[in-house]
Amino acid sequence: MSGMTCDSVRAAALDPGTHPRDWMRRPEVDAHLRRCENCRDWIEAFGAGEHLWAAEPAEAFADSVLARTAGVEALLAELPSLAEMDPGPGFAERVLVATSRRPAAARWRVRWAEAWRAVVRRPRFAWEVAYVATVCWVLIFGNPVGAWEWGASNIGAIAQERLGGPVNELRTDLESWRARWAPEPAAAPGAARQQVDHVHPALRAWQAGAERIQRGAAYVFDALKHAWTSIAEWVASLVQQMWPPPAEPQASPARST
Amino acid sequence: MEPDDLSTLIDGCRAGDALAWEAFVRRFQGRVFALAYSYAGDREDARDLAQEIFVRLYEARAQWLTGDEFLPWMFRVARNRSVDFLRRRKVRTPPATVDEAAVDELADPAPSAEARALDSDRRGLLRAALRGLSAINREIVVLRDVHGLSIQQVASILGIPLGTVKSRASRARVELAERVLALARGRGGV
Repeated sequence: MSGMTCDSVRAAALDPGTHPRDWMRRPEVDAHLRRCENCRDWIEAFGAGEHLWAAEPAEAFADSVLARTAGVEALLAELPSLAEMDPGPGFAERVLVATSRRPAAARWRVRWAEAWRAVVRRPRFAWEVAYVATVCWVLIFGNPVGAWEWGASNIGAIAQERLGGPVNELRTDLESWRARWAPEPAAAPGAARQQVDHVHPALRAWQAGAERIQRGAAYVFDALKHAWTSIAEWVASLVQQMWPPPAEPQASPARST
Repeated sequence: MEPDDLSTLIDGCRAGDALAWEAFVRRFQGRVFALAYSYAGDREDARDLAQEIFVRLYEARAQWLTGDEFLPWMFRVARNRSVDFLRRRKVRTPPATVDEAAVDELADPAPSAEARALDSDRRGLLRAALRGLSAINREIVVLRDVHGLSIQQVASILGIPLGTVKSRASRARVELAERVLALARGRGGV
């Protein structure tokens, strides 16, 4: 199968300077012309048959094609008239407003907004966020398995509150399963302590940091909860003041008999 | 525009003269908008793009080149902005349709309505044919034949070899002529 495309055949006809007419390619061109009716018509229409292998410069051939397209060259002479277009009313004013001096704060805000938009529009933004979130998760909670265990234990505690007995059985099963796969306990009694002491200082620092973050989050959560409770109580008291509950009807005095 | 006039304008803009900048915007708005339109292919997008180009020119006014080097430099800035714009819009080639509204709104000095309509139609034909060219050929025709830059300047702006621009310029004109003919046949004559 010939490797010549319609474009390459026509380019060779138009522009021998950049597409050298290697005689070895002639069979490919001929094969392409035999099977491509469009290129045959094109070459016939523009008389390019003799130019395909002749030594006529490309510029001259282009001129000859333009000469054949009578009337078009006059139209092409009008190309410089396309150099200007009316952008419509108010365009210059719009540009002047956009380039007028603005307060520095506004510029910073605009720049930050533009930078943020540019970051968000990046095609891999979601992947990058997922990556950063994963790294943060690992740094705060330790390894993902640890995080899973932490989450699972909490979920288990909640489930235990709600479901009770069946969950206890399930947990017992899980504990026995975990004990079966757990590593052998250390022979020496102080080995566990020694193992703890050998934890890398950086890891210990991260664990301490994670603990602090958890404590901080719990503190913030408690504060929010407290604030919300106070607001709710205040609203309730306000409502009570504005619309007091109906007073109990006074008991009618006992009739004297 | 006289060269001295342009140099005065450029000097004023470089010095931060607001009036010189306004005069510059008013003088070049048609040219910058036409260039933006050739890339954006849509009137509203072209307005946004042209504004971006002016903002970029304004921000870089301290680096403006003087003399004959200014226009090619301005076209390079405009072209870079346009490419960024197209990249953002995720459209490599503009739609192959002509904006009839833009053709109607062209500022034509022709005296009679009939002559204006004819002239507008011819320009519309050229614009439609230009839209059909490949991106690189269209850029070469726009910069070389429409805006009158030299082959060297076009090669410098597009960052391609001089020989490539030379060969492609003639080929692009032939391609444009073919498209004009095809469109004219479709519309019933040039």
